[in-house]
Formats: sequence, structure tokens, C-alpha cells
Amino acid sequence: MQNSKDKLYNYETPPPEEVWSNITKQLDNEKVNKMPFKRRSRILFYATTAAAAIVIIFVSNQFFNKKTATKPIVQNTTVKVDQLLSQKIRDSINLNYQILETIINAPEDQKLLAYNHVKQEGFAKKYITIAGPEDQPVKISPKVATLIISADNEYPPRLVWDKKIDKWKQIMLNSTLSPTSTNLMDIFQTAAANVE
Amino acid sequence: MTLQSNHIPTETDLIQGCINGDRQMQQLLYDKFSAKMYGVCIRYSGNEDDASDILQEGFIKVYNNLDKFRSEGSFEGWIRRIFVNTSIEHFRKKVKFYNVTEVQENTIEDNELDALDLLEAKDIIKIINKLSPGYKVVFNMHVIEGYSHKEIGDILGIKEGTSKSQLARAKGALKKLLETRLNKAENDTTIL
Repeated sequence: MQNSKDKLYNYETPPPEEVWSNITKQLDNEKVNKMPFKRRSRILFYATTAAAAIVIIFVSNQFFNKKTATKPIVQNTTVKVDQLLSQKIRDSINLNYQILETIINAPEDQKLLAYNHVKQEGFAKKYITIAGPEDQPVKISPKVATLIISADNEYPPRLVWDKKIDKWKQIMLNSTLSPTSTNLMDIFQTAAANVE
Repeated sequence: MTLQSNHIPTETDLIQGCINGDRQMQQLLYDKFSAKMYGVCIRYSGNEDDASDILQEGFIKVYNNLDKFRSEGSFEGWIRRIFVNTSIEHFRKKVKFYNVTEVQENTIEDNELDALDLLEAKDIIKIINKLSPGYKVVFNMHVIEGYSHKEIGDILGIKEGTSKSQLARAKGALKKLLETRLNKAENDTTIL
């Protein structure tokens, strides 16, 4: 039987001719069908990469924000302010507070114009626009406007005002800001001169 | 890879060319193995139409899976296995094997089928194709391809014993068919 086994194992017979053409057709179809899949894969790849990038950015953002949030902001800000403010500026601010305090605590007969303005409803939200030395409009915040207006009065004494204005000038001269004709300090002195 | 006029591609060239989708190489591979694999398909299917379908399906599998061939065994063996498996898949839908209780079958020795040796391969195939599909598959796998009963059981999803009994019955049926044929041939000779 071994002989017949070998015969069967090695049996060869030519297949019909159309088989090869059917195979080529099928291979071509698979090629065509595979193309969109490849494209789809590429799109999927880019989409996945983009999504992954967005997720990474979002997560890192959350992580770093959390890190920042955990730091004591107030302390941080205080440190920064302390670093930024020189002794001169701190002195100036203190002096400013003293003046405002003096105005507010002034006796009734010496009540200052600024105080009256502050008492007026909505004053704090208003800005004063004045004409500068070159007739240009200068917008002044309510707080500064209060100081300018109060310079019109006897109280606080002129000496205190001069000291304060000189201090501010010094600070500004020492800073990167260059004083101009429209400088706030000039406006102050102009206002003071007008009063005189 | 393109085929040079004087260059006979080696098996490696063929494999690599087919992996790269070179149609010329694919055709060369087909030309080299199609006749032999068609023989396998005919043995399992029993008719040319089914054999052609299996051949086509098998070659598509070969082209699509060539990158998995590891060169550990023979290339022809690897291809043949694909065709045998494709043939089995093709007929698994048609053929139902029943796991039966192992019964001692009348064992038929191979020498009782020696008369097959007298026949041409295509005549043997004609006789084998007269067997029921279940018998034919087991006979082909065990006797011709050399699969063990355990392997046949694993591939076909049947018990090892079922494979053995199917083979015994296949041999019995084959013996009867062979006897009928030989008797007929004798009678034809007598008449002549």
C-alpha cells in the first residue's frame, strides 16, 4: 500500500486556468479594500495622538495648577511686594495713609473738601478729568483726586504736602519712569500753585 | 523585486517577493505549487469545482500569511498544511462527525489494500472519493498526510477513538470498493 500512499501524496494535476485569474482579482480587491483601512488607521493614529496630547496637556496643567494652588499665595505675594517695594516707597505709602487719616479724622470745622466729596454718593467710583499743562485731558483716580482737592485746604499743613510731593518726585526720578510735563507730580504742584 | 531575465528566483526570493506583493513572484509561486496543491484539494473535495474554490482560498491564505513562515520546516510542507486545513474547513460545514463510544472495529491491515498499488493515482482518488466525506477526510489525513489520531482529533474536534473507528470503517469500505472494482475488471476481462 506504500506505493499508493506515495502516489496519492505526490499526485499532481493542473488546476483550471481561471483559478489564477480569480486569485489575482481577489488579491486586487483585497488591495483596494485594504487602502481605506490603511487611511483609516492613519487618521485613527493622528486622532489618537492628538487626543493623547490634549490629555497630557490637560493633566499637566491640572498638576501644575494644583502645585501652584497648594503654595500659600498670600505669603508669596507679601514676599514679592516686600521685595519690590523699597523703603522709600513704603515710607511714601505710610505718609499717604497718615494724610488720609488726618483728613478723615479732622475736626468738623476743618472738614476738607475731599472728605465732603468722599461722603458724596458714588464719588469713589468717579474719575476726575482735568486739563494738563498742554491742555491734554488727564484722568485722575478718585483717591488721588481726593489728595489734590485736599491740598486746597489748610489741613494737612502745606509742609506735610511739600514733603510728600518731594518724596514722590524722588521716587519717580530714581525709577525708570522719566518725569514729563504731564507727570502726576507736576499736576500736584500746579494744583498747589493755583491754590497759593 | 522584479524578475531579471537570467535570474532564477530562489525560494527566499519567492517568499520575499510575495510578501512585498510582487505579482510576478506570486504567479511563480502559484505555478510551482498549484498542480500539487490541486491534487490535495481534489483528494479532499472529490470534485473539481470545490477543489478550485479550495485552491483559490488556500493560495490567498498563503500570500497573506507568508510573513509568518519561519523557515523551520520545509516550505512545501508549510503550504500543504494550509491547503489541508483549508480543505478541512471547507468540509467541516458539510461533514458532521459524531463522537461515538469507542468500539473495537475490525482492523484491516494495510496489506489488504495492496491492490490499490496496482491502480493509477487518479483511479485511487476516484475510489477514495466514493467514501463518505467523514471517512475520506480521516483516511486522507492519517494514511496519506501522516497525521496521528490525536492530531486529527484536535483538528476535527473529535475524540481520538472516533478518528480511529472512522479510519477502520474507511478502510473496510475502501476494501469493499476495491474488491468490487477488481471483480468488475475481472468480469470485463472475461467477457473480452
